Order: sequence, then structure tokens, then C-alpha cells
Amino acid sequence: MTGLAPTLAAMLTAPGWRDVVVLGGAQDPGPTLAGSRVLMGVAGHPTPMPGELLVVLLASDHTDWRIDALISRASAAGAAAVLLAGVEPLGRGAQLLASRLQLPVLGSADPLAAHEYLNRVTAEPDRVRAELVLRAVTELRRVEGELESVLRTTSAVLERPVTLAGSDGGTLAGEPLEAAERPELVAALPAVPVAWAAPYRVDLSSGAVLIAVSVLGAGPACWLVARLPGVVPAEVAAVPAVLTVVAPAVGQRLALRRLELERDARQRTSLLGELLHGERSEATRRRAVDLGWQLDGWHTGIRIGADGQVDAAGRRTDVVEAFDAEGLPAVVVEQGDGWSAWITAAREPTATEVQQQAAAIRRVQRRLVQTVDPYVGVGRVQPGPGGIATSLAEAGDAAGLARGRRETGRFLHVDRLGLAQLLLAWTRTDTFQPAARALLAPIEDQPGDLVGTLAAYLDTESSLAETAAVLGIHRNTVSARITKIQHLLGVDLANSDERLALHLACRTAR
Amino acid sequence: MTTVIREHDLEALVVGVTLLGSGGGGDSRAFGRILGRRLGSGELELLDASAVADGYLSPVGVVGATSVLAEKLPSGREFSTAVHAVSRWTGHPVGGLMSVEAGGLNGLSALVAAVDLGLPFVDADLMGRAMPRLDQFSWAVAGRSLTPCALSEPGGQIVVVDNIDPAGLERAVRSFVVHTGGWAVLALAPTPAADATADAVTGSLVRALELGRAHAGLTASAGPTDVADALGGRLLGDGRVDEVARYGGRPHGPGGAFGRGTVCVVDEPSRAVVRIETENEYLLAMVDGEPVVTTPELVCVLDRRTLKPIAVDALRTGDEVLVLALPGPDWWRHGARLSHVGPRAFGLTCDPLLLEAS
Repeated sequence: MTGLAPTLAAMLTAPGWRDVVVLGGAQDPGPTLAGSRVLMGVAGHPTPMPGELLVVLLASDHTDWRIDALISRASAAGAAAVLLAGVEPLGRGAQLLASRLQLPVLGSADPLAAHEYLNRVTAEPDRVRAELVLRAVTELRRVEGELESVLRTTSAVLERPVTLAGSDGGTLAGEPLEAAERPELVAALPAVPVAWAAPYRVDLSSGAVLIAVSVLGAGPACWLVARLPGVVPAEVAAVPAVLTVVAPAVGQRLALRRLELERDARQRTSLLGELLHGERSEATRRRAVDLGWQLDGWHTGIRIGADGQVDAAGRRTDVVEAFDAEGLPAVVVEQGDGWSAWITAAREPTATEVQQQAAAIRRVQRRLVQTVDPYVGVGRVQPGPGGIATSLAEAGDAAGLARGRRETGRFLHVDRLGLAQLLLAWTRTDTFQPAARALLAPIEDQPGDLVGTLAAYLDTESSLAETAAVLGIHRNTVSARITKIQHLLGVDLANSDERLALHLACRTAR
Repeated sequence: MTTVIREHDLEALVVGVTLLGSGGGGDSRAFGRILGRRLGSGELELLDASAVADGYLSPVGVVGATSVLAEKLPSGREFSTAVHAVSRWTGHPVGGLMSVEAGGLNGLSALVAAVDLGLPFVDADLMGRAMPRLDQFSWAVAGRSLTPCALSEPGGQIVVVDNIDPAGLERAVRSFVVHTGGWAVLALAPTPAADATADAVTGSLVRALELGRAHAGLTASAGPTDVADALGGRLLGDGRVDEVARYGGRPHGPGGAFGRGTVCVVDEPSRAVVRIETENEYLLAMVDGEPVVTTPELVCVLDRRTLKPIAVDALRTGDEVLVLALPGPDWWRHGARLSHVGPRAFGLTCDPLLLEAS
């Protein structure tokens, strides 16, 4: 039986003891309460009752000398504490006496209810559990719809805060966990929950207890967590049973929510696909309006990519929230392993505004670092419905470049003047350099600096005379070398595509 | 055996009757000074009750709000007019005086009356200590009528009351003093000496004098237990007054006609909590929540430094005090008398706890 006796401090936080207050003789954590006995009035004489609570049903005047006498008798009978009807403060004598005898004196407007509750948790833990589970089941049947209301109902049944926490301890729904307690919870829980695992009990250093039950549904694993501020053994035994009953309901709500999310994502992605591929029919326009997309105006495309496996549909909310937090009215669409987004302005933004907007997007990226590891490209401002596609294409290119460039914080902004630089920068990437070297390999080891001659020739807009002047050789030499280069590479320098490829390759080779 | 009081005894007598007052009964110092002036170099005999065989005795004393005495001073004629009025009404000449109450100022007021009226004083009274109500007169408890009696107030009004029970007399007296000067002199009917003293507490003033002399004999070095031993009592506590709570005129159950109060003293050596329930007097003392002594025993609170008794209405939080219990008058201990002056008579649902028993 003693294993079921809660401490006084724990009982004072228990749901059935909400209206019980300490009037005198306070201690922390106080004695353990093995049970409860009732006395009609203050004049009564308690029988020996070691470790139990003495509940006095009638105590109209807390300054009465008989309260003092009762405290003395209760102490002699071995009572662990005294609970009086009413919450008026004790007389000074009773307070001094309670401290002296180390006998906590409590008060409650409804002493009988407090008495019954204590007896239930100490003597009938199974009944406590059965009642809570039954109530949870009954209440949950009435709950309609939202996940939040399931958590609220559970919280109301337990009269304890209930949280849906991610595997990192972050709050997904319900009352947030205390920041200080999150690490202790995360440390105690396995990274990958198993469906049949028993509920976890985490005893925090503060003395509180967290009960966690895994919720398995669509999407990442999460935990249903209830926080009990003190250890009332019967409650600690009952709460896991309740959470186990609630967990499937939460899982179902999560799955429904996920389904909705995926449906919306599909809708957005397909519409964006139509926009990008130039099919701008009336129907497309209407659907865009339905989704709240503004096709006219000036658009800035943004591409956010993420390394590794990313739940683009599930994490979309994070991205939207990050944009909202920076005050950017962005449309965000899941695309591949990342998100495409764009910001629409009614008139053409000035250069300063573009800069400010880019800075804000950078801050968005920094916000996202907590959840995903993003690389971000930003396109130029483009007008009209087609502008979305154009700007997004630029953003996509920029993002591809940004991915490998840690030195710029994996962020690239294609502004008006920077495109050439960007492309040039691309020629220095690991992708292009081997290709460039392969392209020029046939002329590399030939006598007479054929690579240098080719570079100068292309730089001077294919002028033999200019090339000769730049290199300080005779123009016939230049002519002969160019012929040799064309022969060795098997290219026609009159073809603009081939000329461009070679020109870029020369830049790399230098 | 006859005890004689001279001026130099008065200081001891004042302390003695104050101790018999158990915290109430009013401030006896004023009558002590008046008596001192009346006596001068003379003396006053306290006649032993058993030595007085014939003649009629009339018990006298002050009733009403005794604290008003300090502001509404006596005219000096109250005792004589009251005694003459009741004597005229009954047709019996008054041959001697006794006191209605031995504790507090009434321990001395009857002595002043005896000197003023030139009548012998018999050391007998109706309480043996101080108590608040007229139905607690030993005569009333013994079944003897309190009427006829006369009241005389300092403005000169005189009222004679007859054919009324003690509770009715209480009401009559209260309404009279409320509408006049706040206090009045009460003189009960002249009664044959043998009857008068048979239902009275005797020897109270001799005891007061002995208590006072023992108290005066205490030196500054006397420890708390020395004080208790010298006064023949028991030490309940020695420490600081932690709280004095007064609940105003709120009646506390049956019999609780006066403002109830509570005094908390923390005993310094043991840290025990001494709680005293009060009305006009100290009624019930508890140590660590356990009642240890009640009326009719005397609970006295003394200033720890000067050893002067402190009255209920003069006690303040922070006072350093000794709490003592002294045996009450023996007369009350017998049979059914106890129920009239025990704690239940004051609305405290507790059986009387007497010193020998505890």
C-alpha cells in the first residue's frame, strides 16, 4: 500500500485537490499520505492513524482555540496532515503550533471531495485508471474534427497539460513543453519509436513526470506527452492507459491532416507546372485566382532547395511561416525536393527595394536552417504572368549554383547586372572544368601556344589582325594557328554555338 | 483572627487583588490611592467571617465599565447613597460591609466604602476573584436572591431593583449604566451575617495580601519558576507575546457576551506555544494545543522584567511576559458550582481543568 502513497506536495498538484490550500505548517515535499480519515467537527478525538490525513468536515472558525487542540490531538494520533473545511487563514497560535509539531494544516472548501479523492488514489488505483480511461473514451467520441480539440479534450479529462511533440521535443500541437524539460524528454525517448512499445515515463529533475506515448501515423513519428507536476502513483499509473487510448485518435487526425496537405500540394504543383510550361488558358487563370495567386504584376522567383530527404509537403508550413515572419507575402509551392516561391508586387520595385527584399529572403533562409539545410536562389524581377516562369527559371539556376557555394552562405541573387558574372562563375564549377579541359585537350600540348592564340582570337571578335597585335606575332602565323586549331579540334569557328563553348573553355583554362 | 491593613500594606494589596483579577476586574490602583488617603496613619480591620455572628451585612461594589472610572470620577457619595437606599427599602440597618468581588478594583472599593461609611468590613465576597457577570455571584449560584439591591451612579441617580432573577438584574444594571455614567455602585440587600457569609467566598483579601507580600518579596534575580513558587502557582510559559487578537463584540456561542480574544505566547526555553483565550479575564490556557488550565483557576500574565501583572486589555504584541496559573477560590470547586464559572460558562466547550488535576 505504501507504494501508492503520494507526497503532500504531489497531492497539492493533483486534479482532485485543486481547491486545497496550505494554511500552516508547510513543508516541502511534506509527508506521504497513506490514506484519509474523516472527523465530523473540531471537537472530535481522532483514533490512531499513522501517516494518514485527518479531514475535518466542520470547522467554521479557523481562529477557534479548538483548532489548536485538534492539531495537538492529530499530531499525537500520528496523523500526517490535517485538512479543515474552509480556506480562511489559521489563527496565529495554530500556525505556530502546526510549524512546531511539523504537521501541515490544509484547507478546502469541499473537504469531503478531497477526502474521497485521496482515498481513491491511495486505495483504489485501478478505479482511478478505469474511470479516466472510460471518460477519455466517452469524451473522444463526442470530439469532432480537429487535432487541437482531441488534445484539449484529453487535457480536460486528465486535468493536465497534453502536448503533441515531435521527436526533437518541439511542440506540434497542444500546450508547449517547457524549454528546460525538452532535452530531458528527448534524451529519454528513442529516435525511432516502435508501435508496440510501452508508454515512456520520464522523471524530470524538477520532480515532475512526463508520460509519453508514440503516435504512429503518416509522416514523421511524434509523441503524445502529458505532464504531471508531481508523482501521485495512481495517476502516474492511469495516465499512460489514457494516452494509449488517445494515441490512435491523434494518429488518425494526423493522417487526415496529411491527406489534405498532400491534396493541396498536388493542386499547387500541377498549377505551377502549367504556368511554367506556358499553358496559360482561362482555366489556369481561374484556378490561380482560386488559390489566391496573382499572375499580373512584377514577380520575383525564389527557389529553395534542401539537401537530403525532405518532406516538402509536410515542411511547407515551416517555409510559409518563415516568409510570414519576415513580412514577405510569398506564394510557396512544393516542387521536387524543395520549394518554389515567388513574391508579387503591383509595380516594378526599385533597386533599393530589390536589395531589401533579397536581404529579407536571406533572413528567411536563416530561419529555415533550424529545420532543413536550404540553399536559395533568387531570380530577377519579371513582369506579367510569364514573369513567374522566367524569374523562377533564373532562381532555379541560381539555386543550383548556390548549392555548392558555402562561401556565399548557399545564397545567390541574380540581379540585373550579375547574370554574366554568374555564368562566368559557373565556368569555374567542378561540373564545367573537366568538360572544358576535355574540349581543349587536343590543342593543349601542341607547339605555339594554341590555347592562348584561340583565347585571344575569340576575345578580339575573330579578328586575325587584332590577335596578331595582341600576341605580338605575324598575322599569317595567327591564321595558320587558327586553321590548325580548327583541324585539331574538329570544330567550325564560324558556328556561334561552338565558338561560345570554346570561348568559355578558354576562360577556364587560363 | 483579624488582619489589620495600614497604608504601607496597600501596595501589596493592590498587586494581590490584581492577581485575583486574572487579567480583569479593572484597575485597582485608583482605589488603592483613595484608600491610602482615607487611611492616613490609621488602620482598617479585615474581620474574619467566622468571627462575625450578628448584624446585617451588605455586599457592595462597582459594576459597569470599570475602565470609565478613570474618566468619570466618583463623587464620593455613591456608596453611602446606595447602601442607605437598600437599607431603607428592606428596613434593615446595615451593620457591616463585604465585597461583591475580590479581584480587581472591587477588592478595594468596598474597603473605601467601609472607611467612608464608618462600618466594619468583613473579609468575604461573592466571587473570590474577578468575573464578568452578576449570575456568577456566589449568592446567585447558591440560590440566594440578589434582590432587592440598589444602584447609585456618580450623577446622583439611585435605582432600587427588586423581584428579578440574576439574568434580569444583569440586564437592568447594564441598561442603567449605559444610560448614565458607564458605571454605578451596587449594594445588595442587608443580610444576616451568618447567612451572608455562608454562601460567600471568605478570606480572599487576606489571600490577596499574602500574594502581594510574596510578590513584593521577589528580588530582581528571581527566575520564572521562583516567581511561580512564591505565588503558589504553576509556570505555563516564559517568553514573548506573539499575537494579541481581539474579535470585538462578536459573541462566541452561549455565554460569550463579551469580546473574545486570543493571546499567543511562545515559551522561550522550549518554543512551546502558549495560547490564552480571553474575554474580560484570562479564561483558558493551552500549551502546545492542549488545554492545561481554565476558570475558575487564575491565569495571570506578568511583565517578565517588572513582574507587574498585565491586564487583558493592556497586553500588547511584543511584551515579554511570564504566564502563570494560580489556584482559584476553593469555594467554586465544589459540586455543581463549577459549572457556573467553568469554561462552558464562557462559551468555551471544554471541561474545567483545575491545577491539582493537571
